[in-house]
Amino acid sequence: MHKISFLRQLGTQAALLLIGLFVMLPIWGMVRLAFDGTLKGRPTEFRLLPKVWSFDAFMQVLDKPYQSVDFQVLLKNSLLVSASAALIAILLGMSLAYAFARFRFPARQTGLFALLLTAVLPPVAFMTPLYIILSLMHIRTTLFALVITYATFAMPFCIWNMRAAFQAIPKEIEEAAFLDGANDLTSFLRVTLPLALPSIAVAGLIAFLMAYSEFTLGWLFVEKADTVTLAMSIYAIVQTQYQGGAQPWSYLGSLAIIMSIPVVVVFLIFQRTLLERMMFGSVGE
Amino acid sequence: MKINFRSLLYVLSIVLVMAVAVGFRVHAVNNLPIDYDEDDYLRAGQEYAHLIRTGNWSGFLEANYRPEHPPLAKIVIGLSILTAPEKQLTPEAATSAGPNKYLPRVLVKPARIVNAIFGIITVAIVAVINPLAGLFLALHTFTIKYVSQIMLEALPALTSLIAVISYLKWKQSKRSGLNRWLILSAIALGLTAASKYLYCVVGIAILIDWYMDAREGKTVKSFLRTAALWGVLAVVIFFLFDPYLWSDPIGRLGESIFYHAGYSSSATEVTNASFPMWQPIKWLFFSPRVWHKDVFPFPFDPYISTLAIIGLTRLWKKERLYVLWLGIAMAFLLIWPTKWPQYIITLTVPLCFAAAEGVFLIRDNILNLWKARKTHTNRSDFLKAETRRALPWLVPGLIAFAVLTLFPLLFQFGVSLTNFNAASIRDGFNGGIWRAISQGLTGQLPTMPANIGAGPDKVNFVGLNQYPKVFSFITYSNNWSVLFFNISWTVLSVLLQGGLGLGVALLLWQNGVRLGKFWQALFILPWAIPEMIGAMMWVNIFQRDWGWLYLAADKFGEHSIFAVFVNLLDQSFSFGLVTLLLPAMWYGFPFMMLAASIGLKTIPKEVLDAAAIDGASIWQTFKYVTWPLLLPLLIPAIIVRGIFAFNQFYLFQAYGFWNSTLATLSYNIFNPTNGFGRYGGQFAVSATINIITVILLMFFVMLFNRWSKAGAGVTYA
Repeated sequence: MHKISFLRQLGTQAALLLIGLFVMLPIWGMVRLAFDGTLKGRPTEFRLLPKVWSFDAFMQVLDKPYQSVDFQVLLKNSLLVSASAALIAILLGMSLAYAFARFRFPARQTGLFALLLTAVLPPVAFMTPLYIILSLMHIRTTLFALVITYATFAMPFCIWNMRAAFQAIPKEIEEAAFLDGANDLTSFLRVTLPLALPSIAVAGLIAFLMAYSEFTLGWLFVEKADTVTLAMSIYAIVQTQYQGGAQPWSYLGSLAIIMSIPVVVVFLIFQRTLLERMMFGSVGE
Repeated sequence: MKINFRSLLYVLSIVLVMAVAVGFRVHAVNNLPIDYDEDDYLRAGQEYAHLIRTGNWSGFLEANYRPEHPPLAKIVIGLSILTAPEKQLTPEAATSAGPNKYLPRVLVKPARIVNAIFGIITVAIVAVINPLAGLFLALHTFTIKYVSQIMLEALPALTSLIAVISYLKWKQSKRSGLNRWLILSAIALGLTAASKYLYCVVGIAILIDWYMDAREGKTVKSFLRTAALWGVLAVVIFFLFDPYLWSDPIGRLGESIFYHAGYSSSATEVTNASFPMWQPIKWLFFSPRVWHKDVFPFPFDPYISTLAIIGLTRLWKKERLYVLWLGIAMAFLLIWPTKWPQYIITLTVPLCFAAAEGVFLIRDNILNLWKARKTHTNRSDFLKAETRRALPWLVPGLIAFAVLTLFPLLFQFGVSLTNFNAASIRDGFNGGIWRAISQGLTGQLPTMPANIGAGPDKVNFVGLNQYPKVFSFITYSNNWSVLFFNISWTVLSVLLQGGLGLGVALLLWQNGVRLGKFWQALFILPWAIPEMIGAMMWVNIFQRDWGWLYLAADKFGEHSIFAVFVNLLDQSFSFGLVTLLLPAMWYGFPFMMLAASIGLKTIPKEVLDAAAIDGASIWQTFKYVTWPLLLPLLIPAIIVRGIFAFNQFYLFQAYGFWNSTLATLSYNIFNPTNGFGRYGGQFAVSATINIITVILLMFFVMLFNRWSKAGAGVTYA
């Protein structure tokens, strides 16, 4: 293949620029809000750039983004909930993933089918029954309930991906360990797990990010301000707008940007791996 | 013996289908109230009957009441009432007039019966080809309705089917010239044209199928010759059976055709109905049972249409022409501004063929699953040892998985058997749900009817009573089908995402594109931004009154492009879809771009160089080299995006406070009140929608399994 002509280069760049504008348009809308120091509530006039450039919103949001709760508390809640949910999903799902990857047993196909089915269900399909169940148990408004909910969202996906990770490791390596006198458990802990760890970490990372950036469903599990996560405080700003409370929309913009930056960085670094994980590891069986 | 048994079964099933067809149509003939237009066509029939009785044959040259439709079907109505006593001519009325309730029964009945007989023959022909398709046609409520009334549908529906079938017979006979089947096909097409123009879409379908065959076999010349003969014969027959045209062919033909154009744009009943463009699709997911509860026991139509969508590709492989027929008729109905429900009779026959294939497809899938299960249980000894080893791994994981995911779903099923809602929330959370489920399932509590709305303050057991109600809400309610929207939404958004993603990947893949890494990083952003935040970014643009777009329209005045866009948005319901599809495309295309980029990298440069040396154009290289190599690698990504689009929730949630009719099932799980008007807190309804969604996604997963297996076989590493 020879290099493309100048004219075609020009046309290509023009097309890419157009798509780039399409990509940037909504993002820029949010950035403009975030940096506008003059906003008292929602924006009232059309502007491409902020009227007065200002970092005030960022400062305010980094201090007390929601009611009078400190940013640190919200961040702590966010990290606690997300990390616990990811850990639960990974740790509790790991043995099941290994069983499906290594052994044959009755109803294995049915099990795989159930696994894949639960992995493709929308989160809201788990949220509605969990809402009722956790209410029945009178723990719905605790952080623990939130952890359980997010762990449920992530678990089928994590199991499916861990299974793929275990499968990618040749059986022969384990069999060599058996010859040295290891049993199933020790060969798993010493040989397979360390080799699969990078892929498992990525699955865990996706689970973490999901819990970290979820707020619409989790909002229903909150009653007191001290169990709010960082992401939910964004929703809180939207909600107060409809209830008549006026918070500058620059808060919304700046919080959304602060929230998104770590996720975007992770995605940019791990794009290829994340894509493969999201296509359910090695595809299908 | 086996063959005999099978053929016996075949004959029996045809007889059964016929019995069903006759039963439903006779019932409809006797019980359907007089509908719009029946008075017009009865009057036309009366005129012809009078001409025949008085032997005034030349009168046929001038008589054609309602001349916008050719006379044949009306003449047949005249023949049908020939033996009935002559009654006073039905009074003339405007096309917009309501149904004339005072038509004489002695005339209505024979006219309807003759129409129904044509309908029954149509079913018989379909049943001989495929008994299951025949059964669907026999049950299709819209078809029953319009072939059992004094309408012009029954005869052309039959003749158009004959035109197709005899063309197919000719095709099987592998003759290149005219034979009696092709002559029959032309005659049938001519008769169709002499009854109702609309049904001639089968002619176009036949020609396309014919041309595709000819192009494959490189016999285009002979195709042109034979098809011209066929066409001329059809036109001749049309003129022979349209005596009204004999005295002034060009003028009257023109009149009748221009009438339709004028009618659709000016007639008050058409403009009053103000059906949207996609109304024909809605009709397919609707059933006249809503209008005639006592005539139709069950609304089969939406189910038949859903099955048809499933079976479409299989039907294409089996007999392309039916799919062409369905597609062209649908395309025509979508374009045609008049959207009367009876028009869909033009395509219910291929629809039923497709639905039958849908059933076969589902059956084959289930059989395959069953077979896969069987082969697995055979190696039992080996299995026992391995199962013992697997158990310590399985048990803890299974417990966690069951508690966290399976139990909530099972519980949700339990809730869907009750009428738990906001009114009974106190009782429900204090053990009422358990009481209703456990005592209901053991028969200690009576099964109550499911009345959706403000319920009692105690939770009741309603059994499966809620499912039909919720299902009919999902398939069609308030002139709208959530399920249909959900499926079209999935298809549309995946097409858009896939198209843009593939396009960008191809652009970046060209040799020597500048800034490639930069563009790719930029384009990944929408995928990396959490979905709800992305959705809010778009809300920030499209939100009514204070979105960017609305502010821009304010600032730049009413003649700016923004204001035009805002106006479209305010006025057109379907334009709202654009404001949803744009974000969906924005959010989804990076994923497709990455998948396509990775796939493109696996294509060996040598193959492309070889294509270039052979002098292939860019388009040819793409079509014959790149695309076939890329597609198997894209399919998993397409399915993942498809599942995602099917489940799309956050986008609709973010837009929810604005346009709630356009939304997926997921959104309806979260907001079940959306469909049930003013009643809040419908937990049980939400649960029912949830369970139905889970069942639908099961089909998706089956598809995923099939495709991934197909894709795994073709790796180009």
